[in-house]
Amino acid sequence: MTYKTNVFVAAALLTWSLAGNAAEPIKIGVTGPFTGGSAPMGVSMRDGVKLAVADINAKGGVLGRQLQLVERDDEAKNERGVQVAQELINKEKVVATVGFANTGVALASQRFYQEAKIPVMNNVATGSIITKQFVGPENKDNYIFRTSANDTIQSKMIVDEAVGRQKFTKVAILADSTNYGQLGREDLEKALAEKGIKPVSVEKYNLKDVDMTAQLLKSKQGGAQVILTYGIGPELAQIANGMEKLNWKVPIIGSWPLSMGNFIDNAGKNGDGARMPQTFIQDGNTPKRKTFIAAYQKAYKTDRMPSAVSAAQGYDSITLLVAAIKQAGTTDGPKVREALENLKEPMEGVITTYKQPYTHDDHEAIKPNMVMIGEVKNGRVVLAK
Amino acid sequence: MEILLQLVFSGIALGMIYAVIAFGYQLTFATSGTLNFGQGEALMLGALVGLSLVGNIHGGPYLNYWLMIPVVIAFGALQGVVVEWIGVRPAIKIKSEFGWIMSTIALAIIFKNVAENIWGKDDLTFPTPLTATPFQVFGANVQPMQVVVVLGALAMMFAVEMFNRKSIYGKAVVATANDRDAAGLMGINTSMVITFSYALSSATAAFAGVLIAPLTLTGATMGTALGLKAFAVAIIGGLTSGMGAIVGGLILGIAETLTGFYISTGYKEVPGLVLLLLVLAIKPAGLFGKTAIKKV
Repeated sequence: MTYKTNVFVAAALLTWSLAGNAAEPIKIGVTGPFTGGSAPMGVSMRDGVKLAVADINAKGGVLGRQLQLVERDDEAKNERGVQVAQELINKEKVVATVGFANTGVALASQRFYQEAKIPVMNNVATGSIITKQFVGPENKDNYIFRTSANDTIQSKMIVDEAVGRQKFTKVAILADSTNYGQLGREDLEKALAEKGIKPVSVEKYNLKDVDMTAQLLKSKQGGAQVILTYGIGPELAQIANGMEKLNWKVPIIGSWPLSMGNFIDNAGKNGDGARMPQTFIQDGNTPKRKTFIAAYQKAYKTDRMPSAVSAAQGYDSITLLVAAIKQAGTTDGPKVREALENLKEPMEGVITTYKQPYTHDDHEAIKPNMVMIGEVKNGRVVLAK
Repeated sequence: MEILLQLVFSGIALGMIYAVIAFGYQLTFATSGTLNFGQGEALMLGALVGLSLVGNIHGGPYLNYWLMIPVVIAFGALQGVVVEWIGVRPAIKIKSEFGWIMSTIALAIIFKNVAENIWGKDDLTFPTPLTATPFQVFGANVQPMQVVVVLGALAMMFAVEMFNRKSIYGKAVVATANDRDAAGLMGINTSMVITFSYALSSATAAFAGVLIAPLTLTGATMGTALGLKAFAVAIIGGLTSGMGAIVGGLILGIAETLTGFYISTGYKEVPGLVLLLLVLAIKPAGLFGKTAIKKV
């Protein structure tokens, strides 16, 4: 190459990179468990998020820029979640992050986003205190938002279903020993106390436990008519299968992970009839839901979503976030937070049409009236009758 | 009474699983003075290979559950040979006291990662060959598969004991176990015997894997916790006694279910480990172990 062509190439490269700078993509972090027992939640959430981003990018993106996702597997481990948070903030320079399927991981990692003034859209984790971690005098503003039904809503619905509708008076609680299970158990006990009911037994188990005999026998001994659960798919399946081992059958009503694919598959017929609160059921009863389900099935070549709730909430978290970026006219963290708290136009999501989903003091998009009770039937989740 | 019986039955089924794996630890310790810290992973690989044969995950099912068992045992034996060949033989050759510890742990981690890449990190269900509906024994419920686990484990250990006592090859194993140098001088190929004991030990673990898989979920991470518990069992029972493995397994299994019910499910693993500490403090060779005198 001659000197002349060298200069020409260099100049061309320089203009190209400058042009690239002008419309640099907007980086959004995605963090969730893409492997392990929580994977159905994390993977479905990520896939929902990717669908939303594809839709938005196809329409020209936001603020004239394309969205770019930076996906990281937090493996449902608190310590890994913290590493991911720091990497997304400091190295990847994301403008916002969506994700967290596990309450423990969310509580451990959110601090870094709060300090960096970067909004977080929790789209799967449900622990009641997640959005309240940074309220109070020492924090003027809170950067943690949510698009999932929190445990206060869920535990109340579980108790309403078990005690209010099905008229059970003797209930047993089985919860796993993680932050999620134990915080949920507290919420359940509170909701039961409001109805004047004390559970006949409250038991816990560890992740990966293969024998639930002791826990189930205690519940059976206490005369439980129903088992209320707070845990995730694989161990919930162990509970259902453990009941078969003891030749004891009572209904299971619990938090939303009873809808996870790995519960339904591993429990098989023992899981039939389990009931849980759902923000979304794979049933195309509105045009928006219909197109969403069809798009998901086509993009990921699967008939049943591994976790329909997570997919829908993942989709909506991006919809709301992008609406806020558009309204703010910038990707600046504090401005986006302000826009989220004052969304002017109603946003049509998969779960519902959001009108003013957030205010300065309320960072929960899902209100009790948007949640319904689902039931496992023949390997799918359907609306409970 | 029914409750106690139910807990004991569950504890026995659980304990026999520990016992088979613990038995595998003893096989290699007897001949070479080394242990395979990847016993749990050998179990996991056995279960997952079995799942590929009888499940529908890799286009199967290819085989009937009962026909799959010999294939898995053969696979386990082969895997044991690999571990001995790569991880243990070099350490024995250079008379390293501890090299085999790290190399068997390293191999265990490698096996786990390979399994995660082939079978994924999710827990999978193993099709059960028998009905899952329990039958009643004195008012307590027992699943047919739980009985198979207990009988299968006992049969396996019985077969190995018989082999060692009756056949000429078994006698070579026993001779090596008693005094490796003397056995070598008598014309026994001791390094072959050690390889064989590794093959046997991984084969028992793989067998245990397919036995318990229908009762639990199968996945790349299932081996770690079981391998550790079985190690505790081997120490409690004594590393030189087959009887010790069975008794140790039963003690730990039953202690876990009883504590879970009568004290708290949060503490169910504590008594077993307290027992382990007690045994180490009072009778370090284990409940059934022979005290070895090491001349220095």
